[in-house]
Amino acid sequence: MSINWLLLGIGITAAVILLFRDWRITVAALLLNYVAQAFFLVEQQFISGDLPIFGFAVSTLLIVKVITGISVALILGITALTFSREYGLENLDEFGMAELRRAARAAQRQRANQPFQFSEYVLPFWAGVLALLASLILPRVYAIAPTVASDFVWYWLVLTGILTIATAVDVLKIGLGLLLCVSAVDVLYMAVVSTPDASGLNVIPLALLSLFHLLLALAVAYLSGLLYGRLKTLDLSELYR
Amino acid sequence: MLYLLLIFFPITMAISTFILRRRSELVIFAALGTVLTQVWIALQLPIDQPTRFLGVTLTLSTLGQVFLLIFLGIGVFAFVAARHLPHGENFVPITLLTLAQISGVLLLQDPFITTLLLASTSLTTVLTIVDLPVGASALVSTRVIAAALKYLVLMVVATVLMYIAFVLTDVFQPGELPGRISLARFILALLATSFALRLALIPFHTWLTDLVDYAETLVSAVTITLLNTTSLLVLILVFQSYPMLLVESAEVLFVIRLGALVSVIVAGLLALAPASLRRTSAYLILYHCGIVFYGLAAVSELGLAGAIFGAFNQTLAVMLLFVSLGLLERPDGRTPGVVRRDLLRRWPVAATGLIVSGLSLLGLPPLGGAMSHLLIYQAAAEKGWLELSILLLGTLLAGLGLARIAAERLLGPGEDTLVVEPLMLGETELDRPPQRRLEPEPPSAAVLTLLLMLITLGVGLYPQPLLAVIDEAIRGLAFIQAL
Repeated sequence: MSINWLLLGIGITAAVILLFRDWRITVAALLLNYVAQAFFLVEQQFISGDLPIFGFAVSTLLIVKVITGISVALILGITALTFSREYGLENLDEFGMAELRRAARAAQRQRANQPFQFSEYVLPFWAGVLALLASLILPRVYAIAPTVASDFVWYWLVLTGILTIATAVDVLKIGLGLLLCVSAVDVLYMAVVSTPDASGLNVIPLALLSLFHLLLALAVAYLSGLLYGRLKTLDLSELYR
Repeated sequence: MLYLLLIFFPITMAISTFILRRRSELVIFAALGTVLTQVWIALQLPIDQPTRFLGVTLTLSTLGQVFLLIFLGIGVFAFVAARHLPHGENFVPITLLTLAQISGVLLLQDPFITTLLLASTSLTTVLTIVDLPVGASALVSTRVIAAALKYLVLMVVATVLMYIAFVLTDVFQPGELPGRISLARFILALLATSFALRLALIPFHTWLTDLVDYAETLVSAVTITLLNTTSLLVLILVFQSYPMLLVESAEVLFVIRLGALVSVIVAGLLALAPASLRRTSAYLILYHCGIVFYGLAAVSELGLAGAIFGAFNQTLAVMLLFVSLGLLERPDGRTPGVVRRDLLRRWPVAATGLIVSGLSLLGLPPLGGAMSHLLIYQAAAEKGWLELSILLLGTLLAGLGLARIAAERLLGPGEDTLVVEPLMLGETELDRPPQRRLEPEPPSAAVLTLLLMLITLGVGLYPQPLLAVIDEAIRGLAFIQAL
């Protein structure tokens, strides 16, 4: 029995996004997830090579998907790297400045009082186990895509995406969950619409899907930056306090 | 060419206005010019003459043209109101961008593209929710960020569900595979959930109440009037494109209708509970969304005509509601932070606008909502007296909610009765502080409110032209004939 490494890659990277909290790990996992998805679509022959590069027939769509993944990761990564920078403070009045100082102190206190706790990973872990079981069963019970592998991939991505949103404690992670859900739709569209019985792939929906990934990443980055600038933390509990 | 102009001209103007966004007056006039040009282009477009571009069909139906003109009209009202009502510095460019995307939704017939365009309108709306006015000295509220985040998450989830449904329709074959849930039912359930999220039906409504509570009134107005109504039109387009979904899923249609009834009755109950002016307005809108969705889920000529008429009425009434609300919330020269109960005396035009819009949402004659309500009640009567009774009860509850908020906030006695005290020993008239003069309502905003009220009244008194257009559009819908 041969191991499908791309399938494994998609599975592990999505699980890492679900489990871990550190943005350095999760954004890197998202990038790898995008790359693995692009190569998976080529491997499953949903898209064929049409661009000769160094003697190999490479698909334009593969390049588009990889570029989309890199762009999304860059948008989120650069935003996370520049969280500590202050913007638009010149117009703020004294009350606003005092509020920011108070938020910075509160965030610092919270970070100091929150040591690593293993129990925080229990819920995402069991959610991941549940998603894995469902993703293994659903392709057999309710197959939609032409292959079991592609069915597993889209079910797994959509379930880990939803569970990431449900178990998220910060805004950036909610964004990653949303991006996983949109990736699931992307895989399902490519797998189903490219079958002979379907209407066939069209360039505009594909372009718009990639654009939607980028716009969503931008919206998440903007909200994350705004929240961090306001509360000096991405923690959702602070947002609703 | 005109089709592309209709989509790309506002995009280029949105970029231009974004660059000039700090010069508010200039940007508003540029936006007004853009929308009026859009109206001219929309009137020049041929009706029902499809054209192909990059493998995609572009066409404008009669219904599409009517709603496109309504949306552009709403854009004009929003830009005029923006001269007096608070809004973020990017409000004008983003509204222009939204109008471009909505033009695309109405012109493009591909469900995948439509879904993604609807989703991108939601993403741009997120930016307007958290937008601060030019040179604001305050921080953005955490509640506003929370409302924007909730809106973003729910709209992306709705997009994912809608997209999965459309992918499934692409391979859907009529007839059931033995031993599994019918694909038609699954698709309809996905579509119903996604559109319930977009149209803010209870229990998927929390984004709307948060939006109304925390976002600027103009942002709420544009989001609800443009995006919700467009979603409804897309749903009609879906039914038109895939009538077999409805034929094969009568039980799902019953569940959807039941959901709409629950939405109407719960929204009515929520409107009754003590709440702020904004929150009660949100519940009235939720009630109306439920009524319109019921009309659509009734899948009959009467119900559909009522739903389309209701969607038209909603755009007008909601715009009027938020313009009035924005005017009522202006600093009025009195001590801030006090809950006022005499708003009708202080701001007569704005308070009347709020009452009229509320009554129009309730479908009270002779306002614009009366005809749509009547049609939907008739459609409900066809389904049985129980469904009609629930709708009527919901309307009664929402009406009581409106009466409550009017009594609490609008119709109270004047709070500015000036008691003239006699001069004290040694005091002259010159020693007294100058008499406080409260500013009247801004004339152009008052005229705008009056104009919206007159249009609402005009549509209520003379609905025949609009009904004729809707009837003609419905006759062309294959799914109504098929059912």
